[in-house]
Amino acid sequence: MKIISKADLDLVRKTGLKKIEPGHPRVGVGLSSCGIAVGGMQIYDRIMDIIKRNGHDISLVKTGCVGYCREEPIVSVVIPGKAMVLLHKVSGEDVNRVISLALKGEVPNELALCKISDWDHISGKLVYGNGFEDIPDYNEIQFFKHQRKVILRDSGFINPEDIDEYIAIGGYYAACRALTGMDPDDIIDEVKRSGLKGRGGAGFPAGLKWEITKKAPGIDKYIVCNADEGDPGAYMNRNEMESDPHMLLEGMLIGAYAMGINEGLIYIRAEYPLAIERLTFAINQARDYGLLGKDILNSGFDFDIQIATGAGAFVCGESTALAASIEGKTGRPRLRPPRLTEKGIWGRPTDLNNVETWCNVPVIITKGAEWYSDIGIKGSTGTKVFSLVGKVENVGMVEVPLGTTLNRIVFEIGNGGAGGKSVKAVQTGGPSGGCIPVRLFDTPVDFESLNRAGTMMGSGGLVVMDEDTNMVDIARYFINFASGESCGKCVPCREGLKHLLLILSRIMAGKGTVKDIEMLKDLSDTIQKTSLCGLGQTAPNPVVTTLRYFNEEYEQLIGEESKGG
Amino acid sequence: MPVSRKMVTITINKNQYQAEEGEILLLTTMRERIDIPHLCYEKALEPYGACRLCMVEVVTCGKTDMKPACTIHIQEGLEILTDTPDIIRHRSLLFELYLAEAPKSDVIQDMAEKYGVTKTRFLKKIVHDDPLAGKCILCGLCVRVCNEIMGTCAINFINRGPYTVVNTPFFQENQDCAGCGACASVCPTKAITIENSGDTRIMRSWSDTSVKLVSCETCGEYFASEKMIQYSSAILDPGIINEIKMLCPACRRKLVTRRMIGGISQG
Repeated sequence: MKIISKADLDLVRKTGLKKIEPGHPRVGVGLSSCGIAVGGMQIYDRIMDIIKRNGHDISLVKTGCVGYCREEPIVSVVIPGKAMVLLHKVSGEDVNRVISLALKGEVPNELALCKISDWDHISGKLVYGNGFEDIPDYNEIQFFKHQRKVILRDSGFINPEDIDEYIAIGGYYAACRALTGMDPDDIIDEVKRSGLKGRGGAGFPAGLKWEITKKAPGIDKYIVCNADEGDPGAYMNRNEMESDPHMLLEGMLIGAYAMGINEGLIYIRAEYPLAIERLTFAINQARDYGLLGKDILNSGFDFDIQIATGAGAFVCGESTALAASIEGKTGRPRLRPPRLTEKGIWGRPTDLNNVETWCNVPVIITKGAEWYSDIGIKGSTGTKVFSLVGKVENVGMVEVPLGTTLNRIVFEIGNGGAGGKSVKAVQTGGPSGGCIPVRLFDTPVDFESLNRAGTMMGSGGLVVMDEDTNMVDIARYFINFASGESCGKCVPCREGLKHLLLILSRIMAGKGTVKDIEMLKDLSDTIQKTSLCGLGQTAPNPVVTTLRYFNEEYEQLIGEESKGG
Repeated sequence: MPVSRKMVTITINKNQYQAEEGEILLLTTMRERIDIPHLCYEKALEPYGACRLCMVEVVTCGKTDMKPACTIHIQEGLEILTDTPDIIRHRSLLFELYLAEAPKSDVIQDMAEKYGVTKTRFLKKIVHDDPLAGKCILCGLCVRVCNEIMGTCAINFINRGPYTVVNTPFFQENQDCAGCGACASVCPTKAITIENSGDTRIMRSWSDTSVKLVSCETCGEYFASEKMIQYSSAILDPGIINEIKMLCPACRRKLVTRRMIGGISQG
């Protein structure tokens, strides 16, 4: 069927709600890449087998990820009228018990992580019910209680392969409101007033970029979603696309309408096969419902999305390299200006936003700019998803309001160093960011504060280092990554990073001298100031910050005897 | 971009100059004999901005911003500094990187020396049997002239980052190479070797790709590659081709001169 009005949307919503609240137990298995990696698919298959063999009255669905990677595989059980229960570290042997108890309206208490009585999807609310007094509440779990789920509003709750479930929790209503009742310029204004800044790393105001693209002379413009997430330790975008692909499509649809653009592209790295699969699935479902295609929602507006896959080059996350890659050329950045908003793909004005930026858009339209800008702090509004990884106890996807301190993220949500070790530093912003020492953990995580600390927000990777981590080795690791990913076009990045790596390796091998430290400083400075694109300009940050905050570790490696020279 | 003829006033190193609006700053400075080193700029091609040697400081509202001169377009009131301590510092370091990257290049050594850099602190790149003889600085001019101007695409960048090299696909003899030698003529460090031997031209740097040469109908000298003649014949007026026939440049000049003299005497 085609959805052409709000009434149609209401009808689909009813169908979707029946799937979420089927009147019998519903079991969801967290099946993002992370869940699958720890055996989620085997659990799913086993449950399916039991249900089919015995003809049980149980719904089994694939869900996205609730973000608590450490506790995977996570299985959610919803007994009608009772609270949803999240079971953690479920194994194949547990499956029989989970199913037989579910049929009796119970859950295995020893596997229960927490219960959820009701959930605010922002676009809509779901009330599950009470019960299970012995199981702790979601808000009592240390990992969850400080988080604020705005982007990950649906992750782990709905089936990402079913558009009906997305509509059931209020999805596509924001698009409906925008396309059928809002002036495009008012939408841009709303996004501008929300203070939403680009979530890809640079933090450019999203609404302003939309306005610039809209005003740029030219026809047949493009909007593009940058899903070329490549920072070591970062997987926010992958999770967002795998768990809730429709929020991205809806965000892009609203943006396209606001800018009056009819063609959308999602540039996604080929290393994300599941995300590509789910997005393709989602695009086809949206087309079937007429939410992509011609005359969407009877508004006269046409819009469709295509997927372009990258071949795994980190530099293709840079806007001009990304455009070159889409055009089938080698992914090498070119000089800017002209920016993409002026001369993008095939020379046409192109608006490029990160996955997460787009995912914020339906929320801003649903709740309004004021509601949105109340989250976070001035200058950095909204929430941000971080992948909290490395030597931290609670590894996982963390969504917090911008301005939350590193202390809260690493020590409260993350529960400190893994295995009780003491935390030494955290690397933010991947290879473009820097290491922040634990004494500066009262730094709020927002665009300005991180820049002041010598690092950057980046796309949201947080890699925790503990007492056993050698910071020189960390710098070497990131320089090795950046050097390997350098496109090789300009000399400071191609040659400079190579020499940084050689010097760092020399120091690590105990053969460094005081002169090497000077060279590191000189080289880093020149690479930052003279490189052509953002990759080179930011690549020395790990060296600069470790020299600034952990100079003693360099000195230790250089040794006492050579210091005199 | 439309050609504008409007002249504007700009300031370079505190001195005022007249320049054409929209012109590339590097061209203005070359004309005014203001010295800015550069390696990857070629007038026939779009600015590329890869060598980073032409970095200058643009002054706006008292603040400075470092940019390559090949990417700056002239506009009224533009203020530029070309020799600040920052620029000299970064430029010297870039020269050190070049000296390490192309240790066999006299051009680089002379250029670096001119800017006071005589040695490098960095490990010199040594490649055995380097087809570009330790002189290539990967400015990309050869690749761009081959692809964008000649439309031949015989050579390109291979690999990426520090492993980047220029050569033919799979390092094999390339049928597409016309042997035109445009690559060698734009190479700023004279890294590309071409050998002519009898009726054959061997592109030593490009996997020994060989092309047949044609000889002059009059003097018998081999003067151009067959493919180049075919290529020129295809784009030139057939009348001209008939007139100049298969003559080497020297014999062509003689022919034309004789005709002109003949014309005068007859007239």
